[in-house]
Amino acid sequence: MATTVMPELLQPDASESTGHPLDGIFRPRSVAVVGVTPTRGTVPYDIFYNILSSGYTGTLYPVAPGKRSICAVRAYRYVVDIEDPVDMAVIVFPADVVERALEQCGRQGIKSVIVISAGFREVGPKGAQREQRLKDICAEYGISLVGPNCLGVINTDPAVRLNASFARKMPAAGRIAFLSQSGALCTAVLDYARAKQIGFSKFVSFGNKAGVTEIELFDYLHRDEQTDVILLYLEELRDGRGLIEAAQRVTRGDNAKPILAIKSGRTPQGADAAASHTGSLAGEDPVCDAVFREAGIIRIGSIEEMFNAAIMYAYQPMPEGNRLAIVTNAGGPGVMATDAAVSAGLSIPRFAESTTASLRASLPAAANLKNPVDVIGDARADRYTAALEAVLADPNVDQALVILTPQSMTDIDAIARGICRIHEQAAKPIACSFMGAADVHSGVRLLQAAHIPHYILPEWAGDAMASVQQIRLWRRQPIGQPTLLPVDHQAARAIIDSSSPGYLSEDQALVVLEAYGLPIPTYRLCPSADEAVAFAEQIGYPVVLRAISPQIVHKSEVKGVTLNLTDADAVRGAFDRMHHHLASVAPEAEIHGMLVRGMIPDGYEVILGAKRDPSFGPTLMFGLGGIYVGLFKDVTFGLAPIAQATAARMVRQVKAYQLLEGARGGARADIESIEQCLVRVGQLITDFDRIVELDINPLIAGELEIGNAVADVRIRLGD
Amino acid sequence: MDKNEVQQRVVRVTCQVLGVDEDMVQLDSHFVFDLGAESTQSVELVAAFEAEFDIEMEEDAALAVQTVGAAVDFIAECLE
Repeated sequence: MATTVMPELLQPDASESTGHPLDGIFRPRSVAVVGVTPTRGTVPYDIFYNILSSGYTGTLYPVAPGKRSICAVRAYRYVVDIEDPVDMAVIVFPADVVERALEQCGRQGIKSVIVISAGFREVGPKGAQREQRLKDICAEYGISLVGPNCLGVINTDPAVRLNASFARKMPAAGRIAFLSQSGALCTAVLDYARAKQIGFSKFVSFGNKAGVTEIELFDYLHRDEQTDVILLYLEELRDGRGLIEAAQRVTRGDNAKPILAIKSGRTPQGADAAASHTGSLAGEDPVCDAVFREAGIIRIGSIEEMFNAAIMYAYQPMPEGNRLAIVTNAGGPGVMATDAAVSAGLSIPRFAESTTASLRASLPAAANLKNPVDVIGDARADRYTAALEAVLADPNVDQALVILTPQSMTDIDAIARGICRIHEQAAKPIACSFMGAADVHSGVRLLQAAHIPHYILPEWAGDAMASVQQIRLWRRQPIGQPTLLPVDHQAARAIIDSSSPGYLSEDQALVVLEAYGLPIPTYRLCPSADEAVAFAEQIGYPVVLRAISPQIVHKSEVKGVTLNLTDADAVRGAFDRMHHHLASVAPEAEIHGMLVRGMIPDGYEVILGAKRDPSFGPTLMFGLGGIYVGLFKDVTFGLAPIAQATAARMVRQVKAYQLLEGARGGARADIESIEQCLVRVGQLITDFDRIVELDINPLIAGELEIGNAVADVRIRLGD
Repeated sequence: MDKNEVQQRVVRVTCQVLGVDEDMVQLDSHFVFDLGAESTQSVELVAAFEAEFDIEMEEDAALAVQTVGAAVDFIAECLE
């Protein structure tokens, strides 16, 4: 018989399944720790001991070959020797025998397994093979696998109280779930959170994510009644599209919960080697930004910032808007906070007259009654509470920040208690910044215990409140299914299917774009000067000549473009000169002729790009085009295909949008038409797997009456 | 020394170092998976075999041995 940890609490609620496949991980009725050893201070022992000592409400079985018992609990030689059903196994054996243990778990009918052990994909090809074998076993037996190479899982739900990890201490219960690919970071976060009295609902280290990934965990935590906010530390994003779909379900609609994430491992991918602008700019990190944006995940730069935002969301009501009232006993910090709040996107409203009257009645004559309210350095609790109550009652205020600097007469704890009292009744969010360290310590502890977000610096409070605004705005933002515009798929297919890998010639690329509805100026490929002149006469002057050769990708580098030819002689002369020049600088190039087209009227130069990413699939890029692409890198990304609403967001994300809108007296571009072009490019790369990269650079964005025109295009095909 | 004697002595040393009963130890027993050897005990086992048989074993190769039967073969080879 196995020893029950807490007989009086035997499996009270752990057995109450929520019906989710990950219940076995988070709410197991029984757990076997496989590979336990009796040596204290080792991972196998500590995991077992943590489950035992954390008050786990289920049944615990140590599997420790050669040992009669561990911590006075009868041990089993193999997991298959356990007579009772086991919901979850935690494997702590060294990597080279994990496979055997997992196989036995499968045979025993265990459907949920955490593999703590390291020594898999992270150590190289041999480890990757080992990890693949684990995946195979899980597939064979239908096992949900967390890990390998992880710290483990913690569920603070009092009905379960499971600390299946080698973290030093069980965290306090709270409303925040933390998911991390890094186990080491988890221990640091737990320590940090404990010092700030931050509790967790679930804590998951998912390591190499050979089985369960952030996507399945999002789904579970969305339904989890104990979780209000999800924090994620990610090193590697494998399924961008899956992440977007899963995260959108979590971050929007009924029961919406915010996801805040840190994504590390910013590795530029072969930027120098890539031939196209899109290829060189569409590295992993910018695309990851795009994925997070579309998913509604708030990307955060640091752990501090992440928790700053999380506590604001988890323990405060959602504000109605971005209007912030500041109450301070020091002018300087009040101004600093105002600057920071405005920079972060919050507004500092004027108070209603009734508020000003109320403040005047309770504050001394020297006080500043405008926002930020300065209650003056000698303020005690009565002034703080009166001012805070007044500003929270103001209809122009959505949230409040209280700043305190410790002066000799400042009754810090009394002020903190007063804020706590108001907080209990408040329908609007409150944050505090008691500046300093030693003197304000006890007051800060009072605030934290009452779940009032506290920030050492008022700027951090501003940033945290701004993150909450992002969450609020995301929920209102339209998203939709990819827009499908009418296209001539067959015409594009005829070109693509008949072409070899490499770049399409410009005339072929133009046919493809035209088939997908992109705005192409009238053109013709002319093999002779006579034909070029005849076509120019037909379309009218001025015209452009562009050399067409499969071997010439960058025409301007070999003087393969001549602009603004105004008559027949100019066309003929340019045709001959270009032929002659190309024969000398690119003798290997096979010249098919000159593409003749009219001059495109002036407009803003933008770039529309697409690239097939190995992790994310087809991606789109939009930004300032022409020769400034590489210099300013004013570009943004999206995952194709896109909805019209996404195209609109992309166009507005770049700084150059102001130009397109007609900043500084310029003409407004036909922005809606640019958005349509983006949708069409997204549709094109989605429809044809062979398109590896596509650059339209520039698309000349003319004003409304003129419209847009593709000035140059490159399309590269794969095998 | 014949292989039977090597085997008997390997089993005896294994039981002493790992603290397991002799009936648990088979030729195909895995030191870690079947007999619960911890990483430090693997090093102790190598040292105990060297003392028992008065031999010196190449450490990495010896630590790579995973089963009792493989240890018997490894030591028998060292003795030749």
